[in-house]
Amino acid sequence: MRLKDCHNFNDFRKLAKKKLPSPIFHYIDGAADDEITYGRNTSSFNDVDLVPNVLRGVEDIDLSTTIFGKKIDLPFYCSPTALQRLFHYDGERAVGKAAQKFNTMFGVSALATVSVEEISSIIDTPKMFQFYFHKDRGLNDSCLERAKAAKFDVMALTVDTITGGNRERDLRTGFTSPPKLTLSSLFSFATKPMWGINYLTKGKFELPHLQDYVKEGTSTNTSIGNYFSTMLDQSMNWNDAEKLCSQWGGHFALKGVMSVDDAKRAVDIGCTGIMVSNHGGRQLDGSRSPFDQLAEIVDAVGDKLDIICEGGFQRGTHMLKALSLGAKACAGGRLYLYALAAAGQAGVERALGQYKAELERDMKLMGCKKISDLNRNNLRFRS
Amino acid sequence: MSLKNCYNFEDFRNLARNKLPSPIFHYIDGGSDDEVTLKRNTSAFDECDLVPNILASVGTPDLSTTVFGRKIDMPIFLSPTAMQRLYHPDGDKASAKAAAKFGTFYSMSTMANNSIEEIANISSGPKLFQLYVHKDKSITDDLIERCKRSNFDGMCLTVDTLVAGNRERDHRTGFTTPPKLTLNSLINFAIKPKWVFNYLINKKFELSNVVKKTDKGTNITKSVIEYINEQYDPSMNWKDAEYCVKKWGGPFALKGVMSVEDAKRAVDIGCTAIMISNHGGRQLDGSRSPFDQVKAISDAVGDKLEIILDGGIRRGTHVLKALAAGAKACSFGKMFLFSLGAGGQQGVEHLLKIMHDEIYRNMVLMGCKNLDELNSKKIIYRK
Repeated sequence: MRLKDCHNFNDFRKLAKKKLPSPIFHYIDGAADDEITYGRNTSSFNDVDLVPNVLRGVEDIDLSTTIFGKKIDLPFYCSPTALQRLFHYDGERAVGKAAQKFNTMFGVSALATVSVEEISSIIDTPKMFQFYFHKDRGLNDSCLERAKAAKFDVMALTVDTITGGNRERDLRTGFTSPPKLTLSSLFSFATKPMWGINYLTKGKFELPHLQDYVKEGTSTNTSIGNYFSTMLDQSMNWNDAEKLCSQWGGHFALKGVMSVDDAKRAVDIGCTGIMVSNHGGRQLDGSRSPFDQLAEIVDAVGDKLDIICEGGFQRGTHMLKALSLGAKACAGGRLYLYALAAAGQAGVERALGQYKAELERDMKLMGCKKISDLNRNNLRFRS
Repeated sequence: MSLKNCYNFEDFRNLARNKLPSPIFHYIDGGSDDEVTLKRNTSAFDECDLVPNILASVGTPDLSTTVFGRKIDMPIFLSPTAMQRLYHPDGDKASAKAAAKFGTFYSMSTMANNSIEEIANISSGPKLFQLYVHKDKSITDDLIERCKRSNFDGMCLTVDTLVAGNRERDHRTGFTTPPKLTLNSLINFAIKPKWVFNYLINKKFELSNVVKKTDKGTNITKSVIEYINEQYDPSMNWKDAEYCVKKWGGPFALKGVMSVEDAKRAVDIGCTAIMISNHGGRQLDGSRSPFDQVKAISDAVGDKLEIILDGGIRRGTHVLKALAAGAKACSFGKMFLFSLGAGGQQGVEHLLKIMHDEIYRNMVLMGCKNLDELNSKKIIYRK
């Protein structure tokens, strides 16, 4: 199987599985507890049907949308995800360049393996920095200052991860960052020698936003769950978020809002957007899917801030459904991570290109020329 | 396995699978994207139950109805489907003769391998022509004129195929028309020597209705997808449809209407029928199923035009449910194509006989003397 055989999300997933040592593949592929929320994030799209309109004359399709004051050419973007150089040695460089090529937003994680400075030196398209609220206030200030100096457009504060989710696949595979060779993981690394060679020869693995502050930023092997549980400030509250919002002074979003009440409070503290998200099913299992919750939130605050639906997207039609309900844009992590693992920048470009082609085709079949043509009249919920 | 062992859809499908090279089987069998809509088209019927009336002295139920100005002996007919000679050397001739024998409509696709005139010569039964609006308007005009001269009864304009759906099975099998031998597909053809023999000794494969007008009709190996995307006019709008209605001047349907709004507009431009269809789940995946949508459309326009439900029909009871929900008749493509692949004209006749008997038996069990008695009181939707 090669990149040219990848026609959809599942194909990229299969190819990624072939290329990655299994602890790393399962770190991407897995989720919390019984992975019920993870499954529901995608299956929720199947409880609603699209109802197309015909004979609308749909030669040219405009997929652009404006989020956080920036016009992007696609109604979806790459969510911030951690540790990308574990998945492909180019890591964030590959994803950033691919996002730039399609002129869409690129989210960089606080746990990124390439620095904000380097990212902004290689791409000039819209960028989001994702931020975890650490106990170490010096680290927090440094992240904000560096993202500001690197001219990032949006700051997204993750609010659903004050403690690590119970990712049982990681417990079984012994996944740590950086990868640690244990007797049980040795075999899975040994069977993917190309990954090992690239990992060892293509530059040192590091977490540049953290390394001056925490030993976990460099060479100490830690599980991600352990990192979240020990380093992040679990006392984080609305006052802290409000302070960060004004300290940043630009477009600011909360990532991981799921309730209508919280969405309203996000407006009150000055957020310009929210990501309706359950962290890809990786945190609270049994949590509602973003798509199931989207309509209520749009009804409450859709006119006051940009609502991004994040999680579960595997198809252009999934995105059409979320956009029809009132999301301003869609976002995803696995959406491009399997493709990154499968083939680096070329893989991500192929994936983004396929979603774009799907959206264009699906918009034509729906009889819609631009994103604002999509509305709830296009949808019927099955009862 | 032979025709006499075929008792239902699955049996015909299995027999066709035995006889056809796999790229051809999968071209019939597949849908778009994740095939969610393809599956829903049939499973939707299971969410609605029939409620029989007993002791109704049904005698001999009358299964006849009138569509496109012709009385037909049962409320089902063959949907227009492209390139039937791929499935059996007799192609459209076989299906046209079988339909005539059972007193119902045969439908001819613009992309048929037999010409309008050829079929008119061999069948005096009810005939429907399916039209695609080509970028070259003279192709469209020419087709309408020829159908008039050949005494076709009705015309339907396909409105859900401005752009080809994402049929991933075809990507994987490398399906093209005419079939192209690649290293990949060679084995699939080599293990069905009988199909290859028939294909080669019979008349040259061509798209007979458009052969003189486009060079794409004959020897250039194009996938269907490429043909659709190159030849069909994506700017087609309601004016174009109205033009075709007027030019034809007889019973006229839009095929692929899914919204109530569009059904009302079809009345306004003078259509005498609509075919509620999502193209057998082969176009917009995630689209609503015809059966899920038929009631709303029938409530709005059921007294103003004939409603044909196209898609998902596998059983006589499905037809009964569709009629009770407001359809005048049902049509199907996949099911009869499998019977055509399984046994040519004899196969299609065998299928029509089974379907007739199922509808007849179930009418008796329902306590209905004629199709008018199948009304909304005869079904209950599960919630």
